[in-house]
Order: sequence, then structure tokens, then C-alpha cells
Amino acid sequence: MRRLLGPALTILLGAAFVALIGWLLHQQPSPAAVAVPHQGAADSHHVYLHLATYPDSMAGEHGKDGGAEPDWVSYGPTTTLNVPRHSLVTVTISQYDGGEAITNPWFARVHGTVGGSETVDGKTVTGVDPEAVGHTFTIHAAPTAQDPLFVSVPLPAVPDEAPPAAGSDYPKPIEVTFSFRTKGPGKYVWNCEFPCGDGTYAKFGGPMSTRGYMSGTLTVT
Amino acid sequence: MTVADTYQTDPVTGGPDGGIMRRLNVGTGILGGVVLALAANLLADWLAGDAVHEVDVRATATMVGWAVGFMAGLGAFTGPVRWLLGRDLTHADELFLAGKDQGEGRYFRFTTDHKVVGIQYLVLTMVMLGAGGTMAMLIRTDLISPNSGFLGPQTYNSLVGLHGLTMILATIIMVTGPFGNFVVPLMIGARDMAFPRLNALSLWLLFAMLPVLYSAAFLGGIPMGWVGYTPIADQGPAGVDSYMVAILIFAVSTAVAGANITTTILTMRARGMTWTRTPIFVYGVLASVVLALPAFPMFMAAEILLLVDRLMGGGFYIPSLGGQPWLYQNLFWLMGHPEVYVILIPAVTALMELTAVFARKPLYSFRIAVLSIIAIVGLSVTVWAHHMFASGWAPDLNGPFMLTTELISIPTGGLFLVILGTLWRGRIWATFPMMCTYAMLWNFIIGGITGIYLSDVPLDYQLHGSMFVTAHFHYTLMGAGLTGAIGALAYWFPKMTGRMLGDTPGLVSFWLVQIGFNVTFLGMFMVGLEGQPRRVVHYGASLHTGNLISTIGAYFIGVGMLVLLYDVVASWRHGKPASMNPWGAKTLEWTVPNPIPLENFAVLPVVTEDAYGYGEPVRDAPARAPAPVAAGAGPGQGPGQGGGTGEEART
Repeated sequence: MRRLLGPALTILLGAAFVALIGWLLHQQPSPAAVAVPHQGAADSHHVYLHLATYPDSMAGEHGKDGGAEPDWVSYGPTTTLNVPRHSLVTVTISQYDGGEAITNPWFARVHGTVGGSETVDGKTVTGVDPEAVGHTFTIHAAPTAQDPLFVSVPLPAVPDEAPPAAGSDYPKPIEVTFSFRTKGPGKYVWNCEFPCGDGTYAKFGGPMSTRGYMSGTLTVT
Repeated sequence: MTVADTYQTDPVTGGPDGGIMRRLNVGTGILGGVVLALAANLLADWLAGDAVHEVDVRATATMVGWAVGFMAGLGAFTGPVRWLLGRDLTHADELFLAGKDQGEGRYFRFTTDHKVVGIQYLVLTMVMLGAGGTMAMLIRTDLISPNSGFLGPQTYNSLVGLHGLTMILATIIMVTGPFGNFVVPLMIGARDMAFPRLNALSLWLLFAMLPVLYSAAFLGGIPMGWVGYTPIADQGPAGVDSYMVAILIFAVSTAVAGANITTTILTMRARGMTWTRTPIFVYGVLASVVLALPAFPMFMAAEILLLVDRLMGGGFYIPSLGGQPWLYQNLFWLMGHPEVYVILIPAVTALMELTAVFARKPLYSFRIAVLSIIAIVGLSVTVWAHHMFASGWAPDLNGPFMLTTELISIPTGGLFLVILGTLWRGRIWATFPMMCTYAMLWNFIIGGITGIYLSDVPLDYQLHGSMFVTAHFHYTLMGAGLTGAIGALAYWFPKMTGRMLGDTPGLVSFWLVQIGFNVTFLGMFMVGLEGQPRRVVHYGASLHTGNLISTIGAYFIGVGMLVLLYDVVASWRHGKPASMNPWGAKTLEWTVPNPIPLENFAVLPVVTEDAYGYGEPVRDAPARAPAPVAAGAGPGQGPGQGGGTGEEART
């Protein structure tokens, strides 16, 4: 019996140690949704951007013939965005394109906007159905000498059967609006995180990774 | 003027013995580390100002300050500094550094004796395995149900990364550290390592590395797994700085240790110990460090470039700045796959060494074993991109890398067959170390065959990033590597401590660990085949049963390892005293008395035969009795049977 005491005590102490570390880690709060803190002079500027997503390249910066890749999905009217520092930026995106299930449901939720929400056709939401996402608008900050900025909003898919709107080749768009605050000056990359490109690299190639289509820059001056 | 006048070979040994070096130990090392860390932090704060990378600069400077301060406070630089000042160490100083007449205190100093360093490595390895094992228990506890909520996603990811890195670093050093340092010089008939001070330096650098590595837990964690992939590492919190600095320190330590062990084996083998008489374990350790020497600088380079990205706004890995994450992947895996064999080869050769002893047979086809090791070393640097099949990098190279990966299974199988051949018709003495050989054979065949599956490109596309991969590499690194290290510990424990490892707790631990291990990772193969991804905290409800089985198995491993820990500690303190050669083995380390004298051998041995001349199996089962058997003893000699000596005393 005494021979069992040592191993038993070792097992108990080991289990207690693991339990203690586990309890301490269990106390760690889960990461909250990314929220942009209010910085700089409040509301010194309030600027508005209006963008659109199209199922082709006929209505964006590539001209009415669609440029080199007329069949590629694209953002318009431009993918090069400029906004002032320490400002409130309100973005409205007219979503004309269809969609399906997103690969990573995390991008079906809103991150980094004021209030952590967006409005979809006037209704405030914090995310959309991951099974019906058209595109996302996602601003990334590379670790360069500038303030970090991360914003990601999902754009719901237009139903496949939606008829063309009057006087347009496209269906009636879904209007998505959100706001975020800029910080100091910097240059950021934004892109769509829904795999809407060609077959290269699991549909993350083609327009997905080409500036002027589903990828662009946001310069804070 | 003669040549002797021109080249002074005797060191200048002016000045008195001792000085401050006799007051330095791990305590002053920690003090020096803390002081220099604070100074470096303040300096970095002043220099970095409000730069965007200020946090990373300060964190990195603090960690580097800690490492340098710790090593200085410990006394690691005493020798070079004294030499620079023209007052090289005296003979008395060298004896002090070697730990002469210092009792237990020598384990807490910058001690150069290879036996002390070996023991220090053993304790350090056990601490690291304990830390990694604790994390493994927590990971499996979290996965006990699909949405257990035990750990948050960020904590879980960090824990998985730290567990992976801790275990990889621990398994890299688990054989070449303790046994490569303690046993190899004895095995080759040397008095010490070629560079004793570098030996101690390599050990204490690892000690300095640990606080740096685990500081990641308090600096936002490492969200990118143990591989540290970019661009996540570029964007990660300050915990990534801990990762980078820890790897840099580790790479320096392995380079120093590798150069030292290589030089020792190449230049300090006993007279008569030709390459055909050199024990297979020495080959294993040599192959391991020869592989590590070019491999780890690759990892170091990868981290230096990442450091430039994070601290100076470089763009080596950031696509938007013209960088390329594939560069990191290539540099990482140029280290990462050779590193698998850095871990495996010494563990397997340690088991070969003891298999010959416990089967009372010569090693089956020594030449095939050596050729297999050489082939593995050669091929292991040609397979790295099989880790990148699914990454999109150079798809045209997938075929060639598939071929080299499948080729390397041939020499690996050669090692396997050598052990089987040694066992064949042997008179097996089924001790705890010998049981580890059986376990390794079982685990390694599962790990090896699943590795061949994963080397196949189409199948890898399907299984990549799944728990199937996790199970595969655990079967190789833990099932084969760690099992080999445990076998080596049980085998050389009497020589390292002068006491026998308790057999009963050892075997209880063995069965708990091996059953638990197979339950855990066979279950993991199942859920992996069903599509459970790695490094994801939540999984589908349909995978619950498989994960529950894996977690129960993991608890068995944990309990088994704790029993082994108890066995080691209890036996070390008051185990049965061991004779000089309790196993009746023929390699040179068993010819020195317990406790081993400071200079190992009263007279350096001369080797006249190989170490495996057991001849035909003996009729009488070996008995555990003190039985000094010299290298090159006559055929068929078991313990207690005496025999001719193959040594001559030479002065």
C-alpha cells in the first residue's frame, strides 16, 4: 500500500497543477468583436463613400467595355479610396451580385465598424447568413509605420432569380451602410474575402487578388 | 628563430586563481538577466520613441537583454573576458569550472563537465516535456466536447502553438542533449567534450530561452501555431516577438552544441575505435547534429527576416509590400523536415544500442544501419516541400518531392529491419528499456505508413491540415522518438545516477503511456479522416465520440508520464544502487565505475573490437549483478561471466 502512495501523490499533484493552469486560462476573456476606438478630434470630419459591387467589369473603372477582363466581378466606381485622418467615414455599398456560402463564416460577421453593426436595406444587423454572402469589404492593416485599422463587413447576396431593375442590366441592389473611424495617416489594403475569383488557389485568384477588381487601397491622409 | 619561438601554444596564465567567477551561479544569472532586461527596455523606449513598432522593439530588446544579462551573470563569458584581459584561466580555475568537489552546487553553475551538462540537459528536457504535456492535457480537455467553452479560441490557438513549439524543442534535445553529452564522450573513450565551455554555453542558452518563450503567454500569445507562418506572424501581437527571440536563442544553442559534438566524435574517439567499431548510437548522435548544423540556421534566417518585418517595417513576407509568405514557408521547412530526423535518428539508434544488449546478439547488419543513417541524412534535405503541397507553391515540383519523400521511407525501413534482425532469435531480456523497443516498432510502423499516405500528393490535398496529420506526426515524434528517449533513459539511468530505475513503476508507466497513446492518436486518425481540421477550437458534433476517445487516451498518457516522473525522482533519490555494468553491455561507458571520476578514465582505453561481440545467444539468462565487461570482451559473455578484455592500458 505504501508503495502506491508515492505514485498516487505524484498523479494527484500533477492533476492539480494541470487543473490550476486550466482554471487560470479559463478566466481569460474571449476576444470581443473588433471595435474601433474613438480617436483624435471627434467628428472633425465626416466623409461619405459610395461604392458598388457588380457581377462583371462593365460599370466600374474599367469602362463600359469591361477592360481586359470584362467577365470579372468588380467593385466600382473606383477601388482607390482616399479619406481624411481622424474622421468618421460612412460607406454605402450597392450590392448587385449574387453569392453562396462563405468559406470562413467569421467574415459573415461585422467587425470594426461603429457600433459593430451595418445596415442592410435600412435594417441594423451584426452579421448576415453565412450561406448567402455575396462579397465582403475588408480593410487590412499591414504592420507598417501606421495606425492599425481593420474593418470587415459582409454584403448579402442578391437572390439568383432577382429580375433586372428598370433601365439597368443589373438587379435591384441591396444597400449596405456602415461607418468607421480613421486614425492617423496611412495606406491600407482592402479586398473581398469571399472566394469569388477564378479557380486559382481555391478561387482566391483572378479578380480576388487584382487591384481594380475586388481589391484596392484606402489611403488616410 | 625556431617555429616554437614563433608560435606560442601555451596560454598566458597570469593573475591569481578564481576571482568573481567563483561567486557566479544561476542566481546571479537571473539577477543579471533582470537588470539588463530592464536597462534594454528603457534604452529601447528612449530610442524607439513613438514609432509604430515601439512595442515590438521594446519587447525584443527586453528579451535579448535578459538572455545576454543572464549568460553574463551566470559566468558564461568569464573565460573569454579573462582571455581578452590577458589573464587566461588557471588550471585551478578550469577544475573549478569542471565542478570539482562542488557537490550538488555544480548543477547550478556554468559547469563544463560533460556529465554535469548531460544531467542538466535531462532535467531541462523533463521540465519542457512537463510544460508541453500540461498544455496537451488542457488542449484535450477543451476538445472533450464540440463546444466545451473551457478555453477561448485565442487562448486555445496560443496554447496549441506553445504546446507544439515546446514539444518540438524538447524532442530535438531529448536524446542528443542528455545522452549525447553524458554518454557519447564515455562511449568513445574521451575525457570530456572537445569544447567544454561551449557545451555549458549550449545548455544555459536553452535555460535563458525558456522565460523568453513562455513570456508569449503574457504578450498576446502566438496565434500562428508552432510553425509561425506569415503573414499572421507579421500581424500578430508581441507574443510573436517572444517566439522569434526564443528561436534565435535556440538556433545559436544548437549550432554551438552541434559543432561541439561533431568535433568530439570526429577527433576524440579512443585509439582503435575505427568507424566500423564506433557504436551505432554515436553514429545516430553525429547524424543528428550534422543535420542540425545546416538546418537550424534556416530557421534562424526566417526569424531574422520576420524580425526585420516586425521591428523595422520591412516587407519580406508581406505581399502588399512586395513580400512573399512562401519565402517563410520554404525557409521554415528547410529546417522543419530535417528536424524530424534530428529527433528520430538518435532515438532509434539508442534503441538499437540497447536492443543488441538485451537480445544478447550483435547488431544485425551494422553496415546497413550506417548506410541507412547516411541515406536518411542525405535525403532528408530534399523532401521539405511536401509540407507545402497544398500551399500553391511550385505545383510542378509536387511530383519530385513526392518521389523523394517516398524514397526516404526505404532507409528508414532499413533501420527498422536492423532492429527486427537483431531481435530475431535473440535471447530477449524483457526489461523496461527493451519494452520501449517493441513499442517503438509498433508506433513507428503506424507513423511511417501514414507518412507514406501523406507523401502522396492527391491524398495530401485531402488530408492536409486535418487531425490525420497531427496523429501521424505524433506517432513518429512521440510514438517513436519519445519512446526511444524513455528507453534510453531507462537504459543509461544506472550509469547517470548510480542507481537502478524502478522496474515496476517503469512498466506500469510504460503500459499506461503506450495504451493511452494508441487510443489517443488512433482516435485522432479517425476524426482526421472525417475532416476535423487542426488548430480549430470547435468541431462538428459528429466528431464528438472520436474526440472523447482521444481525450480519455490523453489522460492515460498524462497519468503514465506522472508515474514515470515519480519513478525517476524516487529512484534517483533512493533507488537500488547500480553496479558498474548492470546490463552486461560491451560499450565503453560501462567500463567506468559509479560514480564516474571527473576525467572518466584512469587510463584512456584502446579498442580492439566492435561493441557488439555477443556471439551466439548464451544459455544462461543474464542476471542483474555487478559485472564489469570491457569493450571487446569475448563472444557470448553475459553479465557475471567475466571474459577477456579487449583493452590495453596505454599511457
